[in-house]
Amino acid sequence: MSLGSLVDRLLNGPGPGHTGGEPRPAATTSASAKDTELWPVEPTTGQPLQPRAQPGYYPGFHTLSQKDFWDEATRNLVLDRVENVPPIRFFSVEEAMLMEAVVNRLIPQDDREAAYRIPIVPQIDKKLYDNVIPGYCYEDMPPMQEAMRLGLQGIEAIAAHLFGKAFVDLGPLDQDQVLLTLHDGEPPAGDLIWKQMPVTHFWVQILSDCCEAYYAHPYAWDEIGFGGPAYPRGYYRLLNGEPEPWEAEEQRYAWAPPPSCLSYKDEAIGHGDIKFVPGQAASH
Amino acid sequence: MNTPLFGAFEGPKPGKHMLGPIQNLDAPMRHYGREDEVDFVIVGIGSAGGVLIQRLARAGFKVVGFDAGPFWDVERDWVSDEAGSHKLYWTDQRIIGGSTPIALGENNSGRGVGGGSVHWAAFAPRLHPSDFRVYSEDGVGVDWPMSYWDLKPYYELLEHEMPVSGPAYYPWGDPHGYPYGPHPVGGTGATLIEGCTKLGIRVSIGGPVAINSGSHGDRPHCIYRGFCIQGCKVGAKQSTLYSHVPDAIEHGAEIRDNCMVFRVNMKDGLTTGISYYDAQGNEREQKAKVVIVSGYAIETPRLLLNSACPGFENGLANSSGMLGKCLMVQAGDVVVGRYAEPVRMYKAPPAHALTEEFYETDPKRDFARGFAIQTVGPLPIAFSKQMMATKGAWGWGMRRAMMDYNHWSAIALLGELLPWEDNTVSIAKDVTDQHGIPVAHVRYNLHDNDKKLAAYGCKVVQDVQWAAGAEEVVSEQRFAHLVGAARMGSDSRSSVTTSFGRTHDVPNLFICDGSLFPTQGSANPGLTIQSLAARAGDYLIWQGDNILHRGQEREGTPPIRRDLSPRGTSGRGMPRLKSSQQRIEIGI
Repeated sequence: MSLGSLVDRLLNGPGPGHTGGEPRPAATTSASAKDTELWPVEPTTGQPLQPRAQPGYYPGFHTLSQKDFWDEATRNLVLDRVENVPPIRFFSVEEAMLMEAVVNRLIPQDDREAAYRIPIVPQIDKKLYDNVIPGYCYEDMPPMQEAMRLGLQGIEAIAAHLFGKAFVDLGPLDQDQVLLTLHDGEPPAGDLIWKQMPVTHFWVQILSDCCEAYYAHPYAWDEIGFGGPAYPRGYYRLLNGEPEPWEAEEQRYAWAPPPSCLSYKDEAIGHGDIKFVPGQAASH
Repeated sequence: MNTPLFGAFEGPKPGKHMLGPIQNLDAPMRHYGREDEVDFVIVGIGSAGGVLIQRLARAGFKVVGFDAGPFWDVERDWVSDEAGSHKLYWTDQRIIGGSTPIALGENNSGRGVGGGSVHWAAFAPRLHPSDFRVYSEDGVGVDWPMSYWDLKPYYELLEHEMPVSGPAYYPWGDPHGYPYGPHPVGGTGATLIEGCTKLGIRVSIGGPVAINSGSHGDRPHCIYRGFCIQGCKVGAKQSTLYSHVPDAIEHGAEIRDNCMVFRVNMKDGLTTGISYYDAQGNEREQKAKVVIVSGYAIETPRLLLNSACPGFENGLANSSGMLGKCLMVQAGDVVVGRYAEPVRMYKAPPAHALTEEFYETDPKRDFARGFAIQTVGPLPIAFSKQMMATKGAWGWGMRRAMMDYNHWSAIALLGELLPWEDNTVSIAKDVTDQHGIPVAHVRYNLHDNDKKLAAYGCKVVQDVQWAAGAEEVVSEQRFAHLVGAARMGSDSRSSVTTSFGRTHDVPNLFICDGSLFPTQGSANPGLTIQSLAARAGDYLIWQGDNILHRGQEREGTPPIRRDLSPRGTSGRGMPRLKSSQQRIEIGI
């Protein structure tokens, strides 16, 4: 993707929203060798898997097709989320490009056709610009806007230390190597930054922000088989994981992450030594 | 199935303040003038304040409730969407610290009329008799200045008023039955039942939970959509916004929403009312004979500490030095298990099955007190954060873990952590909120007994997941609920209020919310908070003007005013089963 088109996408979103039931026909794309490196692979052959309009095990399941069954307030909110991607107002152009590169590794979407990628950076920008705080701030961490800027500086410092390049100019494996040091709580550079906030707090903040944007989107609900809004209709089939008549049966397929990534091993953040509070929604 | 038979759902009716699809506020609300002195001001119309304002209004008093958040019109304001429900939580700034900082906001803090009861999962178990005698029986914590038997009649009242659905026989603590039938089981409940049954652990199914299993007045039954903690648009899950506030308005209460109270005013050792910023940001005052602070365990001590004045330099009602101390949370570790077959845990209320088999102190274990095990049903965003926390998932690992969302089942610990003086709410003097009011600084530290209890409990929940057939089990440390920080007690040197919430230092200043808890047991606090509020209401009504003068109060215990229940709740539901301690009561 050229610089110009990246900026264009950041400022204008991924294109017109489409809120009907069926995915649009796949755009014809001529994939370069560089792109195929980023695609998940068939695990036995190692062959790259073509991006899909809808990855995941629920083909044919589209939460948006059910929008007429939702209440008005919910329908308006979810359609607005899909159709109106917020503009970039908090990040500078340079910061937004760095964020885009970081977020592309934190929640990669290379298995999605370009028209079906979920905008994440604009949602994070909106949250920071509107100061939508979670209701608490660690005593050893600056406010979230300052924390985000510091963290981005830290990422650049690590990229420079390890590879002598800007993060956006690194290949996917090297980018993951930079981020893995944050995940492990062992950043090799940027000491002055990590003295102002524990690296694990930053990791949890930026990854939580990505998750909040990605898994709030109907395309992600379709991907994971989540039923989405359910008022006023509700659910009838509560047991044995059975789908409702308007949901879909699971149809699993084998895939493995691209070899160009380091984010596949499950290892505790900070090697499990560092205490942190994810602050997820109340569950009881 | 892409189009509803009669077209898209139309939503709220014009001009109606909707509380669910059917219930609406049809009575006009009373408004007091700026110079009027009212009988009672309640700061915070949440779980406790919502019940108390209803009692006082029904008894004929002039009462004004203040809430910092909105008076929700739920058809218009709430959504069936995880990310869109942020506004239900108290997200004003607070500072957290200590060795184990506690996540606030959406984790445990409500905003707007209904407060925490809007976003609670609505598990409504009672405390056990032993919870009131923790120091006497186990030598830890502190005893309550009341017994289970003092509170039991109010538990029974509130179980009808909410109402609570659950099994006909609940075997733990003081055994009892529930007035309304249990709910059907969802995916996580089925996992809990399977695991517990294999291990010989008794389990309660379909409740106790304050969610309608059948329609109740203008409140429909549950539709099992799973968005309980995003605010129940259906009107099935109890919040005081549904169950008590409409009755309060009908009986002449005023609720001023979007009004932030910043000071309790004092003169000659008595409170004269409160000062607040109204919805437009103007500074206003409301005079009252009695002030009741119901801001929950952080905002209540914050307001009283911020109201320090000559004669009360360390904050109001703080001669004991206990205000803001002994804040408690419960160990709420979430243990998730992945199953070969789909579970779809987003269906059914997150709260619908539990066991209290490990609730009491067991001398064979190396810690005091115990824990409960309960279903939870995280929606996708919450679950992705659990994957981040439990597995360290990110990148492709996150995408892959989340594609199995429908194969996971989440069960949580609810463990009793003890009151410690170093777990505090204080004022962060150099940080202010959007009104310029100094914010709360919340510090939390785990102690030895707490760590042992949480570790042991987490292991038991893991065993349940494995026994149920999970192929992978991972756990996340988490903390639920907020209580303590203004505890009740019989000794004014070591507590802030009496068992009725009257502060030891200021005769006409009361506290009514979860901050009163001296200890907390392993029960979700909502039912106890609302029951204590009904009991405080009976006390205030019984005392009348005597309350204004120290030494003139009536001695003894107020009569139980069953006649003050909201319309259509008293005497409904199943007749009670005989319990081990009390004779049969048929209805109320």
